[in-house]
Amino acid sequence: MSSTKNLNARERARLAADQAAARKRDQRILLSVVAAFVVVVVAGGILFQGWRTSRSPSATPSASASASPVAITNGRPIPLGSAAAPVTITLYEDFHCPHCGQFEEQFGPTITQAQESGAARVELYPMSFIDEGSVTAANAMACAAEAGFGQAYYLGLFANQNLQWSDPQLIELASKVGGSPSETFKTCVNRRAHADWVTSINAAADTNGVQQTPTMLINGKEVDIATLTPDSLKAMITDAAQK
Amino acid sequence: MSAPIATTPRLAGLASWISTAARLVLGAVFLIAGGLKVIDPQSSVAAVRAYRLLPSSLANVVGWGLPFAEIALGLLLLTGIATRVVAAASAILLVIFIAAVASAAARGLSIDCGCFGGGGDVAPGQTAYGLEILRDIGLLLLAVWLVWKPRSRFTLDRFSSAQYETRELP
Repeated sequence: MSSTKNLNARERARLAADQAAARKRDQRILLSVVAAFVVVVVAGGILFQGWRTSRSPSATPSASASASPVAITNGRPIPLGSAAAPVTITLYEDFHCPHCGQFEEQFGPTITQAQESGAARVELYPMSFIDEGSVTAANAMACAAEAGFGQAYYLGLFANQNLQWSDPQLIELASKVGGSPSETFKTCVNRRAHADWVTSINAAADTNGVQQTPTMLINGKEVDIATLTPDSLKAMITDAAQK
Repeated sequence: MSAPIATTPRLAGLASWISTAARLVLGAVFLIAGGLKVIDPQSSVAAVRAYRLLPSSLANVVGWGLPFAEIALGLLLLTGIATRVVAAASAILLVIFIAAVASAAARGLSIDCGCFGGGGDVAPGQTAYGLEILRDIGLLLLAVWLVWKPRSRFTLDRFSSAQYETRELP
């Protein structure tokens, strides 16, 4: 009787030990699988985002590319739209600033409409403090304005804000938005022809007391973007035109 | 005949419900935070850059990879797989977030934490470091609770809570 009991107890202990070992093994396997899952997701994600930001520009905004070529002067903004327009909208933006992208999405159509109807002209200060792409994009923006397709290029830069803005991407964007990437334009982009101007714009923004992007002024008066709606912007432009 | 080798403590009943809530809240927050950032890699990189802590090339990798890490942790928490280990990883991540926001505040930067997308520089006086840190501390407490009591309901987790499990011998 008692020997059977002993055997039973030993049997039980062995089974318990087996079970504990099995559980430990399961746990090790599970942790490896979990760690592998996280590594694969993160590594795959980095590769995916790398691809997303280095591919060709795809979004093509519809804009009249009819603006005439403009001269680039150090410290002076890029004028976009009719010089005779009664209202001046001054914009301080960085092409890689997330809030500028949201601003453009929300208010870009209203502003473009005012430009096209001749109600307003934009004076653009393309600032560049976020990264290298901000600088290359600001330079290319000046090249495009000089070549006469500044308006379309501006919209194209924001429509493809996810891109890192390498030189080939910036040149390809020119053809996407209907401009002709002439040799002059390509050289202008590749050589950073307006590097000094880009620096001068940052300095000008500093001098003008601009604290953040986007900053918008209508006829020289700063607009509170936080409370702005497309309708109130439209009303502001109409108001400013009548004064 | 069968005999349990360990019994479930009575309090574990309540604790397991708290753990369930903690797991779901933490998982949902991570999943949402990662999801909002993953759609806009350029913003995400800009948000990392705004902290001025990492060199340019590393900021790219973190800006691109971090949202995916959050999504992975969020999914693991929501499904309840290996909860203790995942909660520990979440706690480490949250401590890093808190340190980064605190360092931005200490250096007098004016940035948005970019915790749920967006991010970057904001006007002085528009910062919300106190709230951001408080929220992260709250989440950290949930993570620490889960490291302490990983056992919860509705999970695929069978392994992280072995000490409470009632296993039957054949």
